Amino acid sequence: MQALKHFLLRAFFTLLFLAVPVLGVWTFVKAPAWHVWFPENVSSYGGEIDRLFWLITYMVTVVFLITEGLLIYFFFRYSRRDSSRALYTHGHHTLEMVWTAIPAILLLVVAFSQMGTWAKIKIDLPEDSPYSAAHPMMEVYGSQFDWRARYPDREGNFQGEDVIETPYDIYVPVDTKVVFLLRSRDVLHSFFVPAFRLKQDAVPGMEIPMWFEATKVGDYDLVCAELCGWGHYKMAGKVHVLPGEDYEAWLEGQRNALYSNGSED
Amino acid sequence: MSRYSSLAVLGTALLALSAACRFEPPRPILRYSLNSKEIAKNADMAGNSAHQEHLLGALEFLFGTPQHPNFLVLPDWTDEEPEFDPNYWSLDGLSEAEKAAMRASNARAYAGQIAAIRAGDFDSVEKPRYADDLWEDWLRLVEERRANPGADRNWIEEGAELFESYYPELTVSAELYRQQCFHCHGSEGGGDGSTSQFLDPLPRDYRPGIFKFTAEQNKAHPRNADLFRILKEGIYTTAMPSFRRFTDAQLHGLTDYVKLLSIRGETEILMIADYDPYAGIQPETLIENYRLVVDRWRNAANDFFAYEGEIPESTPERVAHGRDLYTSEQGANCVKCHGATGRGDGESVKNNPKDAIDEWGNPILPRDLTRGVFRLGRRPIDLYRRVYAGINGTPMPAHFGMQITEKDGTKRMLDENDVWDLVFFVRSLSARSPRAEPAHPAQEHP
Repeated sequence: MQALKHFLLRAFFTLLFLAVPVLGVWTFVKAPAWHVWFPENVSSYGGEIDRLFWLITYMVTVVFLITEGLLIYFFFRYSRRDSSRALYTHGHHTLEMVWTAIPAILLLVVAFSQMGTWAKIKIDLPEDSPYSAAHPMMEVYGSQFDWRARYPDREGNFQGEDVIETPYDIYVPVDTKVVFLLRSRDVLHSFFVPAFRLKQDAVPGMEIPMWFEATKVGDYDLVCAELCGWGHYKMAGKVHVLPGEDYEAWLEGQRNALYSNGSED
Repeated sequence: MSRYSSLAVLGTALLALSAACRFEPPRPILRYSLNSKEIAKNADMAGNSAHQEHLLGALEFLFGTPQHPNFLVLPDWTDEEPEFDPNYWSLDGLSEAEKAAMRASNARAYAGQIAAIRAGDFDSVEKPRYADDLWEDWLRLVEERRANPGADRNWIEEGAELFESYYPELTVSAELYRQQCFHCHGSEGGGDGSTSQFLDPLPRDYRPGIFKFTAEQNKAHPRNADLFRILKEGIYTTAMPSFRRFTDAQLHGLTDYVKLLSIRGETEILMIADYDPYAGIQPETLIENYRLVVDRWRNAANDFFAYEGEIPESTPERVAHGRDLYTSEQGANCVKCHGATGRGDGESVKNNPKDAIDEWGNPILPRDLTRGVFRLGRRPIDLYRRVYAGINGTPMPAHFGMQITEKDGTKRMLDENDVWDLVFFVRSLSARSPRAEPAHPAQEHP
């Protein structure tokens, strides 16, 4: 009777701990259906980020399942009654070497496989773009607590009288390699457009050239991904990807609206 | 046995937790509080807590409570043609273009719901955020449809129309205010919310009814469009962000609520000023003051100075004339505060402390005109309005009609063209030529 009770208790706690890996994996599998997963990728380099993401996710999943499986097995196999004493074990030298070497190799795989993508997105700006760091398409300012895009005047001057400023809404052309400067007016912010797989900190005092190429027309969420103060949650925006001629028309409309006589407001 | 009792404790705890998740605590009844700064100025009132309580009740009679705000509609307003109901102030005052923009913005925000309705799939319509009254109307429609399946009504059109023509009730706008604005502007709009202590400049105190960024002369109250524009654009370089993520209807609703708070505050200030310790709070005075304040807001549109026609072209001659007006003591004399270099470091700020305090009693500096940052809009028309009519509540005066002496000694009034010349000069102060050198030589590939 006592043995049966002990077995049932062991079984109960083993199943309880088994719920962690089962629920964990299940959450990930169901996440896309619950709309808590990445939005559709709409940038030219988003696919590479996704591939790296999946590489790491698969590695972690395998390791997670192995360790959880061992944990639960040991939990069941080595549970003792109250009366038994703890026992001393020295460990296993070869085993320790193996579980140090394998993660080290995996880390090197991750490190080398991401180098090209990192350089492409963060270091090298595209050469076949109409824009460059010296002549960016726009400047994006993060400030507590909104995003504001500035577009140059007709001469391409960001210091001119007729600069366009739009809060919240950022307009960009589709299928164009957009180079822009990211700046902050006060504290650290982070420019994050999940649909572009683009995330970059905005650092006060620095002008950070960034680029992306949106491949699909639409409106995409822009959020701040760096806790920047009490209003961080408000710091949202929309990136409107327009067909090239619509973008030009929008920009022209804004330039004309600058000289509105205010009768409409 | 101790193992089983611990299991029982665990199970009870889980049950209690799941019950706690479903439990909604009763919401406390909120009340506005009185303007303590104004009351402190009136010794009679400050010493009479019963009359303070009367005043609070009287204001609740006119404006309701934070959870149920509502303008009292005076009988003669309903007799007017068209009927005036301050509870739908913005909605009634919208132009056709603004109404169309509002519909378009609703259609964008509720695209998912409208698509589901058009597909005839009424059950999969999702509850929209921040629009409880819309959801109640929708559920009522769904219920009616269920009850009368044979009725000769176009349910699809009615449902889509409900979402497209949505305009929030004051109660819902007040809820949105509490979520988005309250923590800076405070529950009475006193600019004393909990985060206000971290801010410079401070959030606006609505209660005196003074608003800086208007397009009206004579220190008139703002029009709906002025408040709406601030919500849309934000005020750059202050903590006031742009609220474009809400629909036009929601922003119009917020301006309604801001007006309620402001009118409440102004009525309160008048009541405290008129307070007679022997008579107490008199209903006649209350209604008289209420009508007075509402009329001030209704008359705002009369003081709007629309600029007809095209914005003139900036020329070097106009900029040069603007500079003469700016620097000359007999001209517009902008140097007095904004300084010879335009950096906002004029003599007057150092020598005359009155020029460095605004009407809310906070320190204020003249704008640094060389930065190219203008709080409410950098369009020429925005600067024109600031120079023409001044900035309410600040030492910046109205310049139109000011007596000036030209270089050649002729005396005349500062006219529209002079205002434009000043605007063009001010705009030229922040303009620079494009940078000759690339910003990031290291990142330029050969």
